[in-house]
Amino acid sequence: MNTKLKISKISKIYPGCIANNNVSLNFESGKIYALLGENGAGKSTLVKILSGVINPDKGQIFLNDKLLKLTSPKDAKNNNIGMVFQHFNLFETLSVFENLSIDSEKNNYQLRILINNILKKYNFKIDLDVPILNLSAGQKQKVEIVRCLIRNPKVLIMDEPTSVLTEQETEDLFLSLKKFSKEGILIIYITHKLKEVLSLCDEVAVMRKGKVVSISRTVDEELSSLANKMIGESLNKIKKMTSNNLSGEQILSVSRLNFNSEDPYEVNLVDINFTLNKGECLGIAGISGNGQNELFQILSGETLSNNGSIKFRSKEISKLNPRERREYLMAFSPEDRISQAAVPSLKIYENVALNNFKTSNFFEKGLFNEKKIKDHSKKILSNFSVNTDNVNLKSQFLSGGNLQKLILGRELITSPELLICFNPTWGLDVGAINYIHQTLVKINEQGKSIILISTDNDELLQLSDRISVINKGKLSKIMSAEEVNPEKLGLLMGGGLVD
Amino acid sequence: MNIDINFLGILIGAIMASSVPLILAASGELITERSGVLNLGVEGMMIIGAISGFAIMVITDNLFLAIIGSMLSGLLLSFIFGFLTQSLLTNHVATGLALTIFGIGLSAMIGKDFVGIPGKEFPLLFVNLKEVIPLFGPIFFGHSIVFYFAFLLPFGTNYFLKKTKIGLIVRAVGDSPVSAANQGINVLLVRYCCILYGGAMCGLGGAYLSLIYTPQWIENMTAGRGWIALALVVFATWSPLKVLVGAIIFGGITILQLHMQAIGIRIPVQFLSALPYIMTIVVLVIISRDSRKIKLNTPTSLGQIFYKEK
Repeated sequence: MNTKLKISKISKIYPGCIANNNVSLNFESGKIYALLGENGAGKSTLVKILSGVINPDKGQIFLNDKLLKLTSPKDAKNNNIGMVFQHFNLFETLSVFENLSIDSEKNNYQLRILINNILKKYNFKIDLDVPILNLSAGQKQKVEIVRCLIRNPKVLIMDEPTSVLTEQETEDLFLSLKKFSKEGILIIYITHKLKEVLSLCDEVAVMRKGKVVSISRTVDEELSSLANKMIGESLNKIKKMTSNNLSGEQILSVSRLNFNSEDPYEVNLVDINFTLNKGECLGIAGISGNGQNELFQILSGETLSNNGSIKFRSKEISKLNPRERREYLMAFSPEDRISQAAVPSLKIYENVALNNFKTSNFFEKGLFNEKKIKDHSKKILSNFSVNTDNVNLKSQFLSGGNLQKLILGRELITSPELLICFNPTWGLDVGAINYIHQTLVKINEQGKSIILISTDNDELLQLSDRISVINKGKLSKIMSAEEVNPEKLGLLMGGGLVD
Repeated sequence: MNIDINFLGILIGAIMASSVPLILAASGELITERSGVLNLGVEGMMIIGAISGFAIMVITDNLFLAIIGSMLSGLLLSFIFGFLTQSLLTNHVATGLALTIFGIGLSAMIGKDFVGIPGKEFPLLFVNLKEVIPLFGPIFFGHSIVFYFAFLLPFGTNYFLKKTKIGLIVRAVGDSPVSAANQGINVLLVRYCCILYGGAMCGLGGAYLSLIYTPQWIENMTAGRGWIALALVVFATWSPLKVLVGAIIFGGITILQLHMQAIGIRIPVQFLSALPYIMTIVVLVIISRDSRKIKLNTPTSLGQIFYKEK
């Protein structure tokens, strides 16, 4: 039987923010629908309303022309609406089977047979008796999907499902979703990733600031048109000027750098040699886990290597710690914004005060000059268009994009000569990525240098003057950006050789 | 030789009897903590159970009513805790500490008129078997009904948590209340029930002291047993059977060191008095070393405030 889901004039207002503003959408089974929008566009609110977790202030939901009253997650379940949240709703310490049995009315014996049939049918390989905490993210997601499938869902909603998946797991997921769709399950796929919309979905609704701004078929769309709809303005094409202000003056040189780690999970670095000129951006590509982390830590001074030398503006700095390196005008933006770059439970201005102890005069006789720090923080917030002017806000409430802007702002406001950043746009939406790319280009134009360690090849090709690939702790030959293309990068990243 | 065996039996019986309040309170608190609620008010609920049990016994002259009343009073006190932490979202640790202080003060006030009144003899079961069977007789027979209940309780608790659906739900709530709520589980209801059950068991543990173990009311007579019960739960890594082991070791060494003091062994008294605490922790830490098991048994959300999105 066909399933029709109709959302009619849904509104949800939070203090200070209209999360959903008169949202109306129609869905029909047999198709995969994308709900596209930036972080904070109101997608998740809508999904929570559909799954009964929160109640809308206004509006109605109809399933096959029947008005649904979804006041709790149970109601959604009983109406055959299945939901896989972005943050898994699993009990980590319970076994897979216990997780699945907790809301089932069937007895354990029947349930086990049913689950095994589902696992076989979709070729999911999951051991039912291990605790969830032993599973990979992809397997956890499969458990969530199986939990929905047990109840024969008519509607399956996936909220940003690929944010934690590897590429292979993503492909598997797409295959399964297409299979479900063929079997007549209506699929609503929520994402901010444009490519996924085009490769998976049939129709796409774009949300912005709580409103639906466009509904169209994906065959009529392309990446740029969707991106523009999503952020509501056309993105400035980032055009890197070909290094006209390269003075040829060397700013950093790394020679014969080796690093042997005692931790078996770390990668050893082997004979790293490179130089960096003023105003240049050196990209370092590679599949994650090939030594990028270790390289970043050694360049920033978090770990010291007893082998080789790092010269910055002709001073030997390899034995200096991160604070001392900052005093020489280096700046760092680590990969993990939450645990390495900022302390989420501290307020914005406190996070700003965390670096630049000496150069700034935030502290007088060991005491905190709150006013100075707050003024300084306000400057960062406005200069780097962070979406708040409240320096007392806890950093954990900033979205990834805004947090990254804050971190970059904190690093750049001292106008460092060299910025070393590691995956600066990881997990961000298009608008934020665009802003950060623009910023990086701008500092290059000001004659400052960048080392960009990234796993995003498009980003590297767009921003770098020269590119090298790291593989198993070794750097490839450094190539100028013009002679590199995605194929060549791919080959080097996989450990291949190019002439 | 015969005398020795009998003495041994009586000694072990005494050890087991002395561990009863710990088993009761710790088993109750274990369920509370498994649902993610950290109630540090165990001592307060025990002492309130002790005085209300004793007072009801004196007033009604009915031991059954006294036992029920002690459980109800523990439950009532835990309800205050539940209302504050679950409905008004106060901090678990601070609220629990306040509950203990409140319980101790309130019990002293109520108990003022009951000091020095002799208790009533509590009926013991299978008394005739006690004499018949050597060694095992004094260990297993001639105890009160509460004693037998206490020793079955950890097994029941274990079965409840591992095998029953409700037990599964309790563990799920303790693991992640947010996920549980998203699964349609009424987290507040589950947590309230666990808190109230824990309160009732603590009340019963207190009543065992004032009605059965040393049938009289003495101010502050729980003497820190509530804190020991709390520590047992943690060091036993939330496993009911290990709580049982820990309680028996603690009771055992408490009794043994008293005997050692009486015999006059040349070890400082202070050290002997500290011995039960040290040994219980050492043994429980050793038997709970498996870090994987610790991770699986520890209620992840312990002590976290949960509120429902609206």
